[in-house]
Amino acid sequence: MADLPEMLAELQSVADSPKKMLAKYLAQGKKVVGCFPIYTPAELVHAAGMIPMGVWGGQVNPSVAGQYAPIFICSIMRSCLEFGMLGKYKGLSAVIMPILCDSFRGMSGAWRVGVKDIPLIALIQPQNREVDGAREFLAAEYGVVKEKLEEIAGHKISGDAIENSIAIYNSHNATLREFARAANRHLDVITPKIRHAVMKSAHFMEKAEHAAKVKDIVLKLAELPEHKWTGRKVVLTGITAEPGDLLDILAENKIAVVGDDLAQESRQFRTDIPAGQDPLDRLAGQWLSRSACSVVHEKTSARPDLVIKLAKENRADGVIICLMSFCDVEEYEYPLLAKTTAQAGLPSVCIDIDQSTENSGQARTKLQTFVEML
Amino acid sequence: MFTLGIDIGSTACKAVILQDGARVEARAVVPLGTGTSGAGDVLQKVLAVKNRQIEDMERILVTGYGRFTFAGADSQKSELSCHARGVNFLFPSVRTIIDIGGQDIKAMRVNAKGFLENFVMNDKCAAGTGKFLDVMARIINVKVNDLGEIGLKATEEVNISNTCTVFAESEVISKLSAAVRIEDLVAGIHRSVAKRVASLAFRNGIVPEVAMSGGVALNKGVVALLEEEIKRNILVHEDCQLAGALGAAVLAYEELHK
Repeated sequence: MADLPEMLAELQSVADSPKKMLAKYLAQGKKVVGCFPIYTPAELVHAAGMIPMGVWGGQVNPSVAGQYAPIFICSIMRSCLEFGMLGKYKGLSAVIMPILCDSFRGMSGAWRVGVKDIPLIALIQPQNREVDGAREFLAAEYGVVKEKLEEIAGHKISGDAIENSIAIYNSHNATLREFARAANRHLDVITPKIRHAVMKSAHFMEKAEHAAKVKDIVLKLAELPEHKWTGRKVVLTGITAEPGDLLDILAENKIAVVGDDLAQESRQFRTDIPAGQDPLDRLAGQWLSRSACSVVHEKTSARPDLVIKLAKENRADGVIICLMSFCDVEEYEYPLLAKTTAQAGLPSVCIDIDQSTENSGQARTKLQTFVEML
Repeated sequence: MFTLGIDIGSTACKAVILQDGARVEARAVVPLGTGTSGAGDVLQKVLAVKNRQIEDMERILVTGYGRFTFAGADSQKSELSCHARGVNFLFPSVRTIIDIGGQDIKAMRVNAKGFLENFVMNDKCAAGTGKFLDVMARIINVKVNDLGEIGLKATEEVNISNTCTVFAESEVISKLSAAVRIEDLVAGIHRSVAKRVASLAFRNGIVPEVAMSGGVALNKGVVALLEEEIKRNILVHEDCQLAGALGAAVLAYEELHK
């Protein structure tokens, strides 16, 4: 087993350079299918013997995406389209896009027109999840996705293969949750940037491979004496907490991340696929079980309570709301989130997250002020 | 004992020398921002007021956008913490502070001791900031410092519908082409700023009393319209522009007495 810094550096490298992972898997003769945020049935890709790879855009000031995407659309969508149009995703056999919000609705058309060499598999998760038929509808949607993936893979995807992938994904979820707990005992080693890298790298690696690496990290952490963190502790909530500069600012201000409700990170790992008889029905059941997320409709948002619980359980001093620019679902949830956390005695600060700019001056001022305020 | 607070802002540098944490000994403003000679100039200027030497200063605390690069500072704090303490020094009863600076807007809620309880800042957008007013003053060809008095002479506000600085600039140009009165146009520009700032203040919650700090607080037109928008009186101290530097000097004094 490698030493801990080496293990962490490897996952940092994966998170920083997903393109290298794409090249690696293609060189192994594997097909790779891109998975758009936030919830995609990646298990079906995995079951087909292909590699599901997260498509989360990146820091770029788009030049060509403007042909099809307005400037006031979610910056992840714009950067994904930009990278797609510029050929940065070349090698992907297809992309799966869940139409989870209005931005996705427009993006599906933009992708089809702008990125003709990478076919798009779109699917819709039912937002009214309490009605009869929601589960059956989604299982049928997943059935269509499965058929399209079978065409790409060149073979059928068996029920047993899906069951096997589901087991791997559930096990991976448990491993990442264990990592999050272990990280809190070693906040000197697991800096905000490293914590993010371990979580984010999951999107770009085959899940069993990633889980094995994270398990090794957890074992190595267990060998270290527990660290008593003297700085401030926060919980992050939002879609993503990027770029890395932002996480560096947290470290500079002696802020540790002790929990997150980020779509790119813990929201991916907190809801397991439930038990059941039919694998597609089980996958649909996972969507019906999801909660406390801005793209999941609930009569009353469970997110504020979840964030408060996360903060209290992990003794956080405050909450950083990472508000994705032009993400309407997140913008609508912000006032409730800020108000509810304040009522619970948890100070919060809102940081603007935008993939189209790397200027972090305002974030630096806000975070320094936040620490001075705590 | 003297402590020195320097606020190196985006468009101006301000400095305050405080005696024993309680009395303002000297103040200075230089209309040059971070990255220029402004920081050095304001230091010399404030020391010259009472012919002091840098060695006379027990502690120097720097704030503002240039706070990380000023050589000779003993410590630095964010401008929000400093504005909060500075306004508390000037108006102890204030619980909500609205600061309109050169490139950002801040709404802060503070407790009786001037400690921040909550704050919001504008996003990466110049709408409603001092820069917005600078741009508009240039198009209209008036001094930015005169905007306040000009706007108060309006008889009918011209509606400026765009909040974006660049689009608002185009809109103002088109209004100028339509030969509207400058006073009415300036009032419309001030209304645009007031609406933008009010929405941010509402987002943070407004608890009386309310004060404004920062250079734009000197613009009586903006203050009057902002009072209308938030439906509350706004206190403005003659040293409002110096609130950040004053707060820095107060915090420097407190650091010496920790």
